[in-house]
Amino acid sequence: MRYLIVALLVCYANLLTAQNTAVSSNEKLTFTAAYNMSGIMTDLAEVTMETKSVKTSKATLLHLKCKATTYSKWDNFFKIRDLYESYVSPTTLKPYLYKRDINEGGYYKFMQYTFKHKTNTVESLKRKRRKDGTTWDEKKKISINSGTNDIVTTIYSIRNLNLDNASSGKTFNLKVIFDNAEYNITLIYKGKETLNTAIGNKSCHKLAIQVNNSNVLQGSSNNLLWLTADANKIPVYAKFKIPVGNGELKIKSASGLLN
Amino acid sequence: MKTLFRILGLIAAILAVVLSVLPLSNLAFIPAIAALVFGLIAFLMAKQQQEPRKSIQLIFILTIIALSLATYKSIFSESEVGNTEELEKTEQKSEEEAIEELEELDLDDIDIE
Repeated sequence: MRYLIVALLVCYANLLTAQNTAVSSNEKLTFTAAYNMSGIMTDLAEVTMETKSVKTSKATLLHLKCKATTYSKWDNFFKIRDLYESYVSPTTLKPYLYKRDINEGGYYKFMQYTFKHKTNTVESLKRKRRKDGTTWDEKKKISINSGTNDIVTTIYSIRNLNLDNASSGKTFNLKVIFDNAEYNITLIYKGKETLNTAIGNKSCHKLAIQVNNSNVLQGSSNNLLWLTADANKIPVYAKFKIPVGNGELKIKSASGLLN
Repeated sequence: MKTLFRILGLIAAILAVVLSVLPLSNLAFIPAIAALVFGLIAFLMAKQQQEPRKSIQLIFILTIIALSLATYKSIFSESEVGNTEELEKTEQKSEEEAIEELEELDLDDIDIE
């Protein structure tokens, strides 16, 4: 199930730190995550992506939050309550703090990255739960490349990619830090398509996603993402194939959009 | 051969009923269709040899129940998120802790509003 969550998130990966023209605060996107069970797509969980302004004494940051919650009928079988957060610059979407709190069928894990952009390092904190309920921490200092983002930031910053002038086959190379390891991701632009979604008929940019140094996403054209071909570039549909199966992510509702 | 189809039909029909009452009700369509096929073959064999068809009737009844239940659930039952109280508490606590962490960070390169 962890593969599924990772794939859902990786499905959006990108790491450009261009000026933010697509993501505003108080935006809320809701998705339905479905998984292929014996050839039948079965709705499994609700995924929400929310943004909010957060003020500290020094600055105003954008709080990006992704939540995955299984539907009540699955809670007795495999309950998921995952929370992925990132605190970023509202203008460049540069991450400063990333938090991941996952609770999946009794498995618990907490990860926190504090980004030190001046030294290109990340201070990582991993917390896991033992069988007796007690927790243990592991702290690490990890060197990252310039422009490496956490998974939540990449999900949002993909929306700032300049896709309007992109030609089919154009690639975007990205770097993402996940589970204390850096992954190289390639997005391949596949052109425009019109999709019938819960928020209407949308002309969309189609992107294929590949993780170069991992087998989490299977195949070169099985992992696809559709973003609306407007100024908001919101993700409306994603298909993924992971080692334990395949599934999809469909938009249910969108509110508080910038443009 | 006819006994084999009756047994297979019965197993598939029971499986379809069991799946149809679980959250996996969508999967009930697969054994239900298999049960219909096995039941039909068993029915045709029994008809040719003029044998009793009580067990075949049972296969069809169970399959109809499973299909009705699975269809009803797929049309009328809406997927709803369960209890998220704990997650909401985690979110709130996480945000409070994050603000404390962010206060300690060097945010010189960020636009101050």
